[in-house]
Amino acid sequence: MIDRRVFSDLDWGILGATLLLSLIGVAMIASASPESHKTWATLISWPVQINVPAYPWLKQSIWIGVGICALVGCLMLDYHRLTDRAPLFFFVMAVLLLAMLLGLAPLKGGARRWIMIRSIQIQPSELAKLVASLLVARVFGESRKEQLDTRDILGPGAAVGVLMLLIAAQPDLGTAFCIIPMFVTVIFLAGLRMKAFLGLFLAFVIVLGLGWKYAPLRDYQKQRIYSFMNPRFDPKGAGYQSIQSRIAVGSGGLLGRGYSQGSQSQLGYLPERHTDFIFSVLAEEFGFLGVFTVLFLYFVILWRSFEIGRLARDRPGAFLAAGIAAIIAFQVVYNVGMASGLVPVKGLPLPFMSYGGSSTLFAFMGIGLILNVRAHRFAN
Amino acid sequence: MKIYEDLRGVQARIGVIQYMLVITIGILLSVLWYIQVLRGHLFRNLAENNQRRVITIAAPRGPMVDRNGQLLVENRPAFRIVLRPEDCPDLDETIGRLSRLLQTAESRIRESVALRPAPFRPVVIKANASNRDLAMIRARRIELPQVQVDPAPLRFYPLTAAAHVLGRVGEITERQLHSKDFEGLSAGSLVGQMGLEATYNSQLMGKDGYRRVIVNSRGLEVQEAERIEALEGPTLKLTINYELQKELESAFAGRSGCGIVLDPRNGDVLALVSLPAYDPNLFAAGISPLEWSRLINDDKTPLMNRAIQGQYSPGSLFKIVVAAAALEEGIITPKTNFFCSGQINMYGTVFHCHKADGHGAVDLHKALAQSCNVFFFQVGSQLEIGRIARYAKRLGLGTPTGIDLPYEVGGLVPTPEWKLGLFKTPWYAGETVSVAIGQGQILVTPIQMARLIAAIANGGRLVRPRLIRSIGGRSIPIEAPVNVGLSPDTLNAIRAGLSAVVNQGGTGRRARLTGVEVCGKTGSAQIVARAKLREDSPLEFQPHAWFIGFAPANDPRIAFAILVEHGVGGSRSAAPLAHEVLSHIFHGATISKS
Repeated sequence: MIDRRVFSDLDWGILGATLLLSLIGVAMIASASPESHKTWATLISWPVQINVPAYPWLKQSIWIGVGICALVGCLMLDYHRLTDRAPLFFFVMAVLLLAMLLGLAPLKGGARRWIMIRSIQIQPSELAKLVASLLVARVFGESRKEQLDTRDILGPGAAVGVLMLLIAAQPDLGTAFCIIPMFVTVIFLAGLRMKAFLGLFLAFVIVLGLGWKYAPLRDYQKQRIYSFMNPRFDPKGAGYQSIQSRIAVGSGGLLGRGYSQGSQSQLGYLPERHTDFIFSVLAEEFGFLGVFTVLFLYFVILWRSFEIGRLARDRPGAFLAAGIAAIIAFQVVYNVGMASGLVPVKGLPLPFMSYGGSSTLFAFMGIGLILNVRAHRFAN
Repeated sequence: MKIYEDLRGVQARIGVIQYMLVITIGILLSVLWYIQVLRGHLFRNLAENNQRRVITIAAPRGPMVDRNGQLLVENRPAFRIVLRPEDCPDLDETIGRLSRLLQTAESRIRESVALRPAPFRPVVIKANASNRDLAMIRARRIELPQVQVDPAPLRFYPLTAAAHVLGRVGEITERQLHSKDFEGLSAGSLVGQMGLEATYNSQLMGKDGYRRVIVNSRGLEVQEAERIEALEGPTLKLTINYELQKELESAFAGRSGCGIVLDPRNGDVLALVSLPAYDPNLFAAGISPLEWSRLINDDKTPLMNRAIQGQYSPGSLFKIVVAAAALEEGIITPKTNFFCSGQINMYGTVFHCHKADGHGAVDLHKALAQSCNVFFFQVGSQLEIGRIARYAKRLGLGTPTGIDLPYEVGGLVPTPEWKLGLFKTPWYAGETVSVAIGQGQILVTPIQMARLIAAIANGGRLVRPRLIRSIGGRSIPIEAPVNVGLSPDTLNAIRAGLSAVVNQGGTGRRARLTGVEVCGKTGSAQIVARAKLREDSPLEFQPHAWFIGFAPANDPRIAFAILVEHGVGGSRSAAPLAHEVLSHIFHGATISKS
């Protein structure tokens, strides 16, 4: 059942880039931590007391370890066994998300995003992105048509739409939004007619417009969009993050201000600096050089992932690899755009680098699935 | 056995997506290149503005000492509470909170914030913070990082003497904020508002230092980048002799009035008293509205420096001016006699001498000694107002003396032109008769009279009174006195008369001192006409008592002017007061020992 070829035919480029990004991420998280928590020095105190939670970089390292194990796990099974069970996964995930809304997830900071398994906090919406990818790959993978009509995408569209709505209601707009590029990529690959695409786009714009007007958007959500439109309007309020992040990125210059030397991140002007704005810390402390390196590594992962999709044995494989790659691509582009002040601030982590257990774990699982498609590209 | 699918369409479309990926990453890199490399310096500046703050270190004002080094004004450690409005996420909320914490009106804080001359300048919310205030603010250091406690020394006047000389400090006014003399100061700064504190404000203030600090996003200081220490203002060494000042003040024994003791040789003011006075310490940290209204509504005007701002009739003191003019103009000689019958009819009006049955035959010597009005009525009318005014002005009346105190007034020397200009009526000869004995429209300040008598003492040279000997150890050169142009004969004749006032049973005999020849002249400045005044009239209608003089007669080292408000007559109250002070000066050691 376990194929030896899985390990002899790994894509070391993707794996290496992923690990490298994770290590850079850990270093940046350490840099963004308070002075006393950057090194081991105060980790173990006397009487022996290991205070792991106070060390985000250590926690992140542990999650990366868990992520690597999960990646290996995802490689073991043939991806077809997963796509075949996608409807079941979808059903379980939808129920879980609903249960969370109904109270399974405790209200935290005005949102029900996390469930607690003992003392570990898990964000199921991150896993939901993978479930949606599996479902979409399975549904469109079964189709043998060269061209798809609007009709053909209504069913799967409604299914992922349910997941999106359940996630958006937590509320977690950022994660919900990630599913859209995945879905669009897959229907494009599956051969949706150009006309249908245009129609969809039009419908999307209309829904967005109506939603802005009538949807129960929270005040803070509207505020974020407003403040993005004109950050200078309220530099101390909602536009603050955007402005400060742009200052951090810009002040990095070509070579950066040096590790742990960025004034924006070290003095706390940069908000959310070890999670959503970890890229700004990197940009400030390592400048364009660091930014270029990191974007190059992402490019390697993404390019090769799409390549795996191109060389996949069958449609489900191609769609799964491309879909997951689309999610990662969207998150990277959006997060970098947010750090540079190009797009509104949304709670969207940078895959592999941002501090966060679930985000890291499921990103590694996503890479595992992509590598799985490659490992099984030859029919047996 | 699976059949391979035809994936060519899918593969082609993945190729499209790969191209899009290349383009997208390319765009991101271009944007980052633009922000980081092309515009990097701009964002670097913004980042530095984020974290740099300049905090002023208030310079202590220079201390003041008397001529013998006795400390008169110093600084005491104090703290002020300062707000940086631009660091407040919600200014209104912070102001409301401060107002409750410090028990200060919100409007007052708002006013200080609105009045600051330049943005990004910290605003002083409370100048003299109590221990309670400090505890309130320090306990909330984390919640209110925009509010800060700065050391800012405050003025302290350890001896409650010479308030009007030393002056006072106060919060800079809005007018001053916009004037050039106070450039660069911010609302809430304490500056000299009166007295020497005001005259020498710019020197006393020294030079503020500053600290450049790095602050974190909450405004808390994390590191000091640069520190320039404040430069304390230089020491002001006064001409005042504290012991004498104290003696002069206590000699008034609660009465209102003023007194000046000068060195006639150089204009050094040895003592300058104006009573009632106030406690300058009240103003050190900004006076409370209650205290302020109490001071300005006080009928006895404790805030007025009578020595330089009080304008009084000179009364009989003016006879010195008339005598000098008459001698110089050849109207009389020291031997010229007039007859005093107690009254004289001139220009259809009867003018009285203060002695109802008359002084008989009177020459200048006797006229000065007994202060005979009839003698001067006749001399004055022969001189006429023009010449009287000319000599009065030559002797320094009608213009400020130029003493180094602010807001000095000039008094008034009436002339026909002045009267015509103001009242549109011609001058009457009868008015000259009144002016000849110092009544009528003429007004003088006590400091002018002190300087005038100093000129008689020193041989006819008009000195400029001064209060400061040296600043920061550098002595201030003495201004060359102006020669009034009185001949030695004239001066000798007047001096002889003034000596007789004290030493030959004249009106100032109570100022007589054993062993030292004192010269002087009494005077009363009438408040109501003599005819209407009775012994039992209320105090505020009683005339002011003058006594001016110098000593020792042969080598004058001090000149003085004393005015006791409502002291009735110079001989009765001012001369004994002068005696007390003179004995302190010349026999001080023995008196203090006994």
